[in-house]
Amino acid sequence: MATDTAVSRTAHPVSGHSRNRWVFHALMTPFTLLWIAPMVFVLAVAFRSFDDIASRGLGALPASFTFDGFATALDEGSIGRALANSALVTVVGVVATLFLASLAAFALSRHAIPFRRTILLTMLAGNLLPPQILLIPVSSITETLGIYDSLFALIVVQVAFGMGFYTFVLHGFMRSIPNEIVEAAVVDGAGSARIYARIIVPLSRPALAALAALATTWIFNDLIWALTVLRTEEKFPITMALLNLQGGFVSNWNVVASGAVLAAIPTAVVFFAFQKHFVSGLLVGANK
Amino acid sequence: MSTSDISRRGFLAGTAAIGLSGILGGCVGSGGSTDGGGGGGDASPSGPITLQSSAADPKPKAALKAVVDAFQGAETTINTVAVENFRAQLPTYLTSSNPPDVLTWYAGSVARDYASEGLLLDVSDLWEGDGACAGFSDALRDLSSTEDGSQIFVPTHYYWWGVFHRTSAFDEWGVQAPETWEDFLALCEMLRGRGIVPLTMGTGSTPWVASGWFDYLNLRINGPEYHLELLSGEHSFDSAEVRAVMTEYAKLIPFIDPNGRSYSWQEAVTPLVQNEAAMYLMGAFFTQSVPSDVVDDIDFFRVPIIDESLPVAEEAPTDGYFAASGTDNAAGAKELMSHLAAPDSQQTYVSKAGGAYLPTSPEVDTSGFSPMVQKGIQLLEESDRLTQFFNRDSSDELQTTADAALTRFLDQPDQVDDILSQWQQAAEQVFQA
Repeated sequence: MATDTAVSRTAHPVSGHSRNRWVFHALMTPFTLLWIAPMVFVLAVAFRSFDDIASRGLGALPASFTFDGFATALDEGSIGRALANSALVTVVGVVATLFLASLAAFALSRHAIPFRRTILLTMLAGNLLPPQILLIPVSSITETLGIYDSLFALIVVQVAFGMGFYTFVLHGFMRSIPNEIVEAAVVDGAGSARIYARIIVPLSRPALAALAALATTWIFNDLIWALTVLRTEEKFPITMALLNLQGGFVSNWNVVASGAVLAAIPTAVVFFAFQKHFVSGLLVGANK
Repeated sequence: MSTSDISRRGFLAGTAAIGLSGILGGCVGSGGSTDGGGGGGDASPSGPITLQSSAADPKPKAALKAVVDAFQGAETTINTVAVENFRAQLPTYLTSSNPPDVLTWYAGSVARDYASEGLLLDVSDLWEGDGACAGFSDALRDLSSTEDGSQIFVPTHYYWWGVFHRTSAFDEWGVQAPETWEDFLALCEMLRGRGIVPLTMGTGSTPWVASGWFDYLNLRINGPEYHLELLSGEHSFDSAEVRAVMTEYAKLIPFIDPNGRSYSWQEAVTPLVQNEAAMYLMGAFFTQSVPSDVVDDIDFFRVPIIDESLPVAEEAPTDGYFAASGTDNAAGAKELMSHLAAPDSQQTYVSKAGGAYLPTSPEVDTSGFSPMVQKGIQLLEESDRLTQFFNRDSSDELQTTADAALTRFLDQPDQVDDILSQWQQAAEQVFQA
């Protein structure tokens, strides 16, 4: 009797909830399919052979399964070397940007620097400029400094362009750290460097992790700065190598698709590893 | 306002460069060591050479690599950049403070254009005495010379243009290569009636292809003299002569595959191979994109004559190499160019590049080439006048004005008045610059 009522009582909310879930799934399934269709398509093309694509068309169901596309992309397209270049630029770029941006944000948020608001807004304003108008200046500046056509130049440009935004976000986050903690440290005799290293940075870890995840995808996926400062095939990051692959293997869709799949793997790994931080990354600074 | 921002960024980049040099020292070091890895104990004292190449399609790329691998001189690195990016970046390459030493590009006005800006190395000594190009024809010498008579280009191969088709498809449909322009239009009409696309053309990522028909119609209607004068700015694009060309071009538009507007020239080969499209006005190099079992089935015919009183002109674009005047190893660059122009190298390149290329050196034996190539050689021999192609007879800048005008014309043929007046305006800016 008691169990009966319990069942009937809980049955209603469950069925209401499950109806909602059904509506949700019925609505979202087509969208999900639409969303993943291009990825499935690229994967399917990547594993087909060139002859299969050439004779039966790009849209036909796969009738072959081969790694030829990947082999060609890795060998003739040098996708492996390009991935290594991208990894180097991304890792060094992200670490350097976040280190410098956290120093700047610490100074601007915790010290009474004159015109600190103006400094911060100027840094942010620079980020709002479309990069296209700066292509020629950046190209000639790197020429003048003698670092044109080096990965170092690309890293410098990426760091310079990331700084403004990361400093702004970290500044907002660091300001929300209660001042009492810092005051307690000052009473204990800690200097600025110690406060930065022992208190501010550890407490800013969520924001730093979120920004690291975002910066990784931005720098890894960048094409425009790479095109501006690089010329030698050996130094091309993955985005430029893909562009080259597309130019050379125009009708070899399996090779182009294989290259695209290989290029997507690192960003996909970063995304799944830092999934949580991506969401929090979008919320950083939303509630100060 | 924007100036101050730029200088701020410059300052930022500069300080970041100095500030970060310590942190990044390791990465620069590793980059440098990979560069110099193969360079230790080099045979040539004058340093390595960079060959910036636009030959990104697999077969020409492999062919060039085979040729350069056989080079005995300074250590040479090939940098391959896909041609559409190469075209856009070429002025940057040549003007940079440390330019690539040798670059692939085209003979004719386009090379002359860069030479007039002082960007190209004088290679006249390769054309004299026992130089690599000394035995080349006078026509090639003209194509490789500046106005003042010095040579700045080393041609290594050329090709012809024609209307290509599959022999088996023409047999199946019971049609023949047309002799006159009327026959050609009638053939297109007939094929379209049977549900076959008469002409394939890829003007998506390769809009320059649209200039092929423009060049030929102008050559056939107004003659080669007028065509070359038009491309050097002596006539207006907004003229009765050019309008007559566009009138004929408009007749072709219904026959051109509308999907071609989103294809590259390589992708436009597929409908031809699959017998969905019948004909393709293209350079003979396109056979590199034809599946190997179909290549022997490809044949071509001359673009039909429209005005018989005009000299017969054909496009025979010439490819080769020039060197940047800013090279730090001029002797090594010339040595490499001599190697690239040598008969053996030409033979290797032509046989491996896949496309139907013709060697520039008279010492290369062409008797073993395929029947189609023999027919191509004959086509050029029977022509009164040879031209290059729109961009090669003018400049890369003028080509962009043609791309804008002609692709718009393909979409909106009824806007021809507006298109031609805008084209002329854009062309004037190019010629004034």
